[in-house]
Amino acid sequence: MGLLHVWVYLTLAGFVLGCAYKAIKYATMPMHLRWELYPVAHEKGKAAYGGSYFEEVDWWTKPRESSRLGEIRVILEEVVTLKQVREHNPGLWLPSLLFHYGLYLLFALGAALLVGGMAVAVGFKPLVFLAGGKLMSIWGGMGLALATLGTSLLLLRRLGQAELRRSSSPADFVHLWLFLILFAVSWGSFLTFDRSYLQAGNFLAGLVKGEAISPGSAWFVAQVAILGLFLIYMPWSHMAHMFTKYFTWHSVRWEDLPNLPGTGIEKKARKLLMLPVSWAAPHIRGDGKKTWVDVAQEGGN
Amino acid sequence: MAQSRINPVKVKDIGKPAEVLSPVNLQELAPLPPPYDQDDPATLWKELTAERRAQVEASLDGVSALSLKRPESPEEEKKLLEGFVSGLKKLLSKENNWTFLQPLALSLEHCTHCQTCAEACPIFVGSGRNEVYRPSYRADVLRRLAARWGNGGNPLKSALTGSVDLNWSTVARLAELAHRCTLCRRCTQACPIGVDNGLISHELRKLFSQELGIAAQECHRSGSVQQLKVGSSTGMPPMVVKDNIEFIDEEMSQKVGFKIETPWDKAGADVLLIHNAGEILSWPENPGAFAVMLEMAGISWTLSSDIAGYDAVNYGLWYDDFQFARVALKHAEIAKKLGVKKIVIGECGHAHKALSVIADRIFSQEYNIPRESCLTLMEDIVMSGRLKLLPERNDFPVTLHDPCNMVRAMGIVMPQRRILHKIAPRFREMVPHGVENYCCGGGSGFAIMNPNNFASWKYLVAGRIKLKQILDAFQGELDPSIPKYLCAPCSNCKGQFRDLFRAYNVFERSNLLYGGLVELIVNAIADIPEGFLEWEFH
Repeated sequence: MGLLHVWVYLTLAGFVLGCAYKAIKYATMPMHLRWELYPVAHEKGKAAYGGSYFEEVDWWTKPRESSRLGEIRVILEEVVTLKQVREHNPGLWLPSLLFHYGLYLLFALGAALLVGGMAVAVGFKPLVFLAGGKLMSIWGGMGLALATLGTSLLLLRRLGQAELRRSSSPADFVHLWLFLILFAVSWGSFLTFDRSYLQAGNFLAGLVKGEAISPGSAWFVAQVAILGLFLIYMPWSHMAHMFTKYFTWHSVRWEDLPNLPGTGIEKKARKLLMLPVSWAAPHIRGDGKKTWVDVAQEGGN
Repeated sequence: MAQSRINPVKVKDIGKPAEVLSPVNLQELAPLPPPYDQDDPATLWKELTAERRAQVEASLDGVSALSLKRPESPEEEKKLLEGFVSGLKKLLSKENNWTFLQPLALSLEHCTHCQTCAEACPIFVGSGRNEVYRPSYRADVLRRLAARWGNGGNPLKSALTGSVDLNWSTVARLAELAHRCTLCRRCTQACPIGVDNGLISHELRKLFSQELGIAAQECHRSGSVQQLKVGSSTGMPPMVVKDNIEFIDEEMSQKVGFKIETPWDKAGADVLLIHNAGEILSWPENPGAFAVMLEMAGISWTLSSDIAGYDAVNYGLWYDDFQFARVALKHAEIAKKLGVKKIVIGECGHAHKALSVIADRIFSQEYNIPRESCLTLMEDIVMSGRLKLLPERNDFPVTLHDPCNMVRAMGIVMPQRRILHKIAPRFREMVPHGVENYCCGGGSGFAIMNPNNFASWKYLVAGRIKLKQILDAFQGELDPSIPKYLCAPCSNCKGQFRDLFRAYNVFERSNLLYGGLVELIVNAIADIPEGFLEWEFH
């Protein structure tokens, strides 16, 4: 097993663990007070105009009609068309769309090559074509082209547009430059060494089998090295929105479950209300012993 | 994306010395439609005197909402900064902030600064795109402080997030900045990631109130504290409110031609109606119309004369979880004591959200009395045919304001529209409307806050886009010979419209009256004499 393989194992593990850590962190945070924002996508028959079950007289006596499909449709529309950006920030839409489509293609390419590598490793011929070849060359070339163009336009916009530049954080620039460096190196590998992605497929097959494969090109090594850095870093940056969006939308914006018998909300709330508070303002005087509910039942003068 | 045309302040400048960091620029304000485009904004602007500026902190934009006093010694400043950092850590802890920790953490960690939210903010756009009102600006200050000083803050994260100085200017301007956002959450609705910059304003206010005891005195001392002590944020104790309602009942009886008697503390009633008590003092025709409608519809209902039971307001919603919970629990206790089937919340947006949505998870079983909007009850009454209605009595142009807390925060969109379509033949929508509405500019407590020169900021900046939207809805009909009605089923919104219309002389110039929804319903009831709605501005 080569050093580069070890790097890939480590960074892939880092990526998976980082994502898992973040997802578990958010998933295990305490139940929050309701803070939904309409339209709520699962409101059957009402989501189109932003309505809710609160529109019904005696709403608590009526069955709630919730549509998981409604949520999936909105999320898919957002992922595929970047609807919010298109409607509220049209100037940014095309660069962002190119960038995201490029990433979607490259991410899918990586997954396909890995599957192809596994197919090679186990001798499963129907999927061996995924380990490199003409199709993968077109696929990868398109992905790189879209991602590079999108990233360049995003960076130019962030550098050139005064209001975007001054409201950016250092990380916003670092991410875009890192992407550009990654794509530049990937182009180097693509154009000079591995246009068919056969080497990448071989490399991944070796990864699956645990056999050392010579990378064969400095471009290829640099590409894998930088990609690995990205994988480790991504879950800790705002780029984690690729999966934390589930929480911002599903667990906050659309979280409208009422506290009715059988929902388990009251049981969870009872525990949380017993947490000690230490807020220091005179109308609270939390001492780390008084519980949340103790303070809430005081006079508040 | 439109270009900002005024002083380009950066996030890192928040703590830098400057007499005024990013002043309100009267030349850059968003234009109003004719004839209001000819108004000179300077006539509405109140500049703080040099003496007042020396007394209170106004170095953000030349406006003071909180009347903060500068620390008198380095020790005092140090103590305040330590308190701020301590509060920041508590805001990020499960024990102290389980109520909003998950949405806060998600919003702090995932903004890509794409500025998709910016143009959705009526304050940012209305101001002419003043950089400090950008929805991400105050959130970014908090993000940078949290990365450096929050729990587990680390140097790499801080370097990537960016830095701001932690000093008096930063803290004071941030406190003021938390009061340049009405928490309408229109920016959140636009965000492709789901980052909630409105929530960050809310959480900032909590940090200041719950740790440092800094809050708008209209919301805290004269608001929730007074409500819990006296019974109402208006200052009315139970005896006074009963006297006032008795007076309103007499007025209503004269108008409708039969006796109206509001029931008090009726155990076992179907409905406990809780008004925003401000209605009783400022718009008595609103609780009066409710009494007429409910009596004529044969509803079993009551008001409560218990402390806080006759005032639906819950200002804690805007700045303090504990003050919020204290008032919400009072409301629930009263409903339980009376044994009512449900609480119906009067025409008050924030009270709707407070009691129906935000308090939902702090009510244990015995206190979890069902809560319902008056809008759905009114729709039920209007559509059931229990009242004979003559829509021609409302034959004048009517438009509808959507209170953010009822619509964007609760999804109550159609009942009020179905009512208006039935009783107001010349009803027309604003653009945009429903869940995409614009805030009145008085949200999150602004409607009751008028210290220093804050009122002039509300008239010129916070309410600007809404005023434009209202006037646009009546384009071609702004002539004062045509009476027009802005239906605003929310007390705080009405407070803002009263002050806004007064500032721009809208009633005199355009004969545009504002009021609630129930008044229009009662105005259309065939069985009472014509003219319930009096065309008087107040």
